[in-house]
Amino acid sequence: MGLLSELWRGLKVTGSTMLKTIGGSGLVTTEYPKEMRHKPQRFHGRHVLNRYPDGMEKCIGCQLCAGACPADCIYVRGKENDPESPVSPGERYGYVYEINMLRCIFCGLCVEACPTEAITMTHLFEMSTTNRQDAIYTRKELLMDESGKVPHMFPDDELADLDELNTADGWLRATAPSGVAAYEGVQMWQGTPGAASWDPEPSQEERDRASEGDDG
Amino acid sequence: MSEPVTIKVDGKEFEVRPGELLIKAAEDHGTYIPRFCWHNRMKPVGMCRMCLVEVDTGRGPMMVTACTNEVVDGMTVDTQNEAVQKAQEAVLEFLLANHPLDCPVCDKGGECPLQDQAMAYGPGESRFVEIKRTFEKPIPISELVLLDRERCILCARCTRFSEEISGDPLIEFQDRGNKTEVNTFPDHPFSSYFSGNTVQICPVGALTAKPYRFRARPWDLHMVESSSFFDTAHPRLSIHVSQNEILRLVGIDSEPVNHSWLSDKDRFGFEHVRSENRLDTPLVRRGGELEPVSWSEALDMVGNRLGLIVEESGGDSIAVIGGASGTNEDAYALSRFARTVLQTNNVDATMGEGPSAHFLAASIDRGLIADVDDADTVLVWGPDLKETHPTLYLRVRRAAQELGVNLVVIHPRVTGLDDRATATLRYRPGGGHELLSDLSDGSHEQVTSLISGKVVAIVGQASLADDPGLAESVAAFVREKAGTPRIIPLANRANIYGALDMGLAPDLLPGRVAYGPEAAPEPWGEIPAKRGLDTPGMLDALSEEKIRAVLLVGADPVGNSHEPELASDALDLAEYVVSIDTFLNDSNHYADVILPAAGFSEKDGTITNLEGRVQKVNKIIPAPGQGRPDWSILDDLSTVMGKSMGLGSPETIAKEVAAVAPAYQGISWDLLEWDARDGAVVPLDGEQPLTHIPVRAKGTKAPSAELLLHQGRVMYDDGVRLRNCHYLSRLAPGPVAHIHPDEAKRLGAREGVAVRVVTSKGEGEFAARIDEGTPEGVVFVPLHQPGAARLGTDPVVRVTVVT
Ligand code: SF4
Ligand code: SF4
Ligand code: SF4
Ligand code: FES
Repeated sequence: MGLLSELWRGLKVTGSTMLKTIGGSGLVTTEYPKEMRHKPQRFHGRHVLNRYPDGMEKCIGCQLCAGACPADCIYVRGKENDPESPVSPGERYGYVYEINMLRCIFCGLCVEACPTEAITMTHLFEMSTTNRQDAIYTRKELLMDESGKVPHMFPDDELADLDELNTADGWLRATAPSGVAAYEGVQMWQGTPGAASWDPEPSQEERDRASEGDDG
Repeated sequence: MSEPVTIKVDGKEFEVRPGELLIKAAEDHGTYIPRFCWHNRMKPVGMCRMCLVEVDTGRGPMMVTACTNEVVDGMTVDTQNEAVQKAQEAVLEFLLANHPLDCPVCDKGGECPLQDQAMAYGPGESRFVEIKRTFEKPIPISELVLLDRERCILCARCTRFSEEISGDPLIEFQDRGNKTEVNTFPDHPFSSYFSGNTVQICPVGALTAKPYRFRARPWDLHMVESSSFFDTAHPRLSIHVSQNEILRLVGIDSEPVNHSWLSDKDRFGFEHVRSENRLDTPLVRRGGELEPVSWSEALDMVGNRLGLIVEESGGDSIAVIGGASGTNEDAYALSRFARTVLQTNNVDATMGEGPSAHFLAASIDRGLIADVDDADTVLVWGPDLKETHPTLYLRVRRAAQELGVNLVVIHPRVTGLDDRATATLRYRPGGGHELLSDLSDGSHEQVTSLISGKVVAIVGQASLADDPGLAESVAAFVREKAGTPRIIPLANRANIYGALDMGLAPDLLPGRVAYGPEAAPEPWGEIPAKRGLDTPGMLDALSEEKIRAVLLVGADPVGNSHEPELASDALDLAEYVVSIDTFLNDSNHYADVILPAAGFSEKDGTITNLEGRVQKVNKIIPAPGQGRPDWSILDDLSTVMGKSMGLGSPETIAKEVAAVAPAYQGISWDLLEWDARDGAVVPLDGEQPLTHIPVRAKGTKAPSAELLLHQGRVMYDDGVRLRNCHYLSRLAPGPVAHIHPDEAKRLGAREGVAVRVVTSKGEGEFAARIDEGTPEGVVFVPLHQPGAARLGTDPVVRVTVVT
């Protein structure tokens, strides 16, 4: 008795879904890749190495991403910047950067570990290759050019929508660069790769002035 | 010793030695008190205040620094109550007030005590919003070390190290208050042979090493323990590797040997391991050119040819030179290969340098390094320890400076230890024996009177002009004077003591046994009866064409010789020369076949240091290309030659050694890896199979010439490993001649001018170095310098300014 009623309840779901699909409104299957489904903002697609608006690379070759990666698929080597023509701000830049996409589990821990938001993820996930070597993305494939365009291993790939490379996983940061306490825990988002879009933090003087203003 | 006292730390009660520092006592009993400035091997200064704890000795709780306070009976200590935590947070907040947040680009990031302790004990947030002080980003303070003053937390570890440990006080605090900074003295670069240690002990990333800079982060390093192959004391170290490449070496605190210190040569000398000049494939000379061949082809060729020569002319027609650069297992394989397969006793690992093999291997009352700590007097009559035996140098220096041991230094010129010596004596190069007989005749009373009680005599060849037997005579003299002194005989090659212990000398067999056919180890079978030749003897026999084939194992008789033409002419006459080596060297020019060997960090095994301490060395990277350990090459050769030794693996060889070499009984890998992590001194039971009693030799006088040549080794020279190190190769002084200012005036030489140095055996141009440390009437020329002419051993010299 009980069994029958349970069965009936289950079949009701099947039936109603079936009817909806026939009607067209509840259709799940799409004509991929002609038609792509919407992806949530924080979708974890392939990575991109970002630059600052002035064209400097953000990556400082610190290997924190490599250290955080649970799949051990990132290989980074740092080198000293030539002070005359630095690649990144500061003393060090990443001169080797490789991700083995076959091993990557797209967990995004590298993005979280990165102190400079150099590595972020895009929405593109079409990366099938016919050999293992092509699955290793190097600086050539990962690093955006100075105009902010993100390269791809197969630029002519008809199956992929390369626009997706310009949609990034929003990244967050829990502390401000100078350690201002007020920024702690404040999440900041950006929907595209590249430069940060939030207002810069106020300078020391501005903050001092503001607090004097409070007093006065 | 006085009664232990009882203290209570965080509610746990334990007994400790009185006079012990609280921080150490607590740590030994499982309570870690955070610290930055305190270091186990240096005096406390109480600079950083990180070790604040609350102590109650009956007068109520007080906040004190655990690193400067000694334990007192009945003391109650609280290391983590609220007050202490608040103090720790405050200290860290202050330290971070100026410390930059550049951890991601800092070499120390990931293994930084400041990072770790800020996480563990810090407040998490800073109230300081002021702009941090900034300095010019790293400034080089020496050829090897960079200083980033922004990061310095003024803990005085580096400055104390240079003052207390190495004795080169060239790095100091400057300025006062908020402006305080460490720096070198203007015009004085931090030129220390030990500068790398400051990088290791700096608790932040203020001091970084150039060879390691930006090359890795701590989390991608693999490590393994091993020992250095440069210093014959074999300081213990840890090899840090990433992607099959050694990135740095870090000293390990081994109580009997190196107290965690390493000389820069031991620390940065690893660079040769991945040099592009490493041999990586067997080479055969065809039509004058070296051509790569396969192992099987090379082994067949060598085996057949050597076999033929042994068959035709007997083992006496074969010379085996070298064997001191590998492990004990390599040396044992070579010793057995030479005696049983090649049927020859012409084996010599000393290359004819320094004291006799019997004295080095089996001197009676052999001293330990640690013996210097509680000696009454340490006598150093040998090479300048700072230049040649840095680990021993630091120990002797510490003994004289901190432990009140009398130190007597006898050397032709000033040495690195003179400033701590109770007495020093100088003698003219070549005049050692003369001075020795003066000493035994009762002159220099103030010096000889010190040679009594517990004496440690560190003896070796001080100057090339000295008779190599002088060291043994000195030892004999000290025994006459002081009864049973401890004797540490010095030699120079990497694992020379291990090689001799494995029988790589014409008159020795494995385990410190005097050579004799009846003394052959069991598995060896029959061995030749005839006494073999040492290196000079073999070279002579080669010139007389009595020897047909030479096997060089990590040996370069031409490059090493003070009269290279003799050696090269001799090798040129050899019919067949086979070389097993890691690099091409000057002698390989004459080699018919060159076999690539595995080197440091590329093979497992054991090595024996100057006190007879056996330590385990470990493999962590593969040898480049097809390089293989010596033992396995020799094992395969023995098979080709139809007398297979069947050695198996280094571990089975070590077992065989423990079974057949009397002094090595009881030494096993398990012992060295577990129970005796600091190594074990052989023989374990202290009973020497062969006891060599030093004998007093009759010596010659120093020539009476006005100017005499003193040649001695210095830290950096043109050795093939150093030559292939990117950073260290630049540190060799090159062709220089040190002369006293007055002597220079007489000669009309100024600093840096070219002078011509002429001896009976050679001549060449050298740059004059005006040097108070070299006595008048003496010219000091560092040995084996790149680009320097060889001058032979005769001390009579003429020096003229090149115009
Ligand atoms: S997404 Fe995860 S698995 Fe992939 S590279 Fe980053 S950390 Fe590694
Ligand atoms: S991507 Fe970020 S975390 Fe990775 S090396 Fe570059 S800066 Fe460091
Ligand atoms: S440089 Fe390093 S070791 Fe020297 S005082 Fe500064 S923090 Fe201490
Ligand atoms: S460790 Fe005690 S004051 Fe620095």
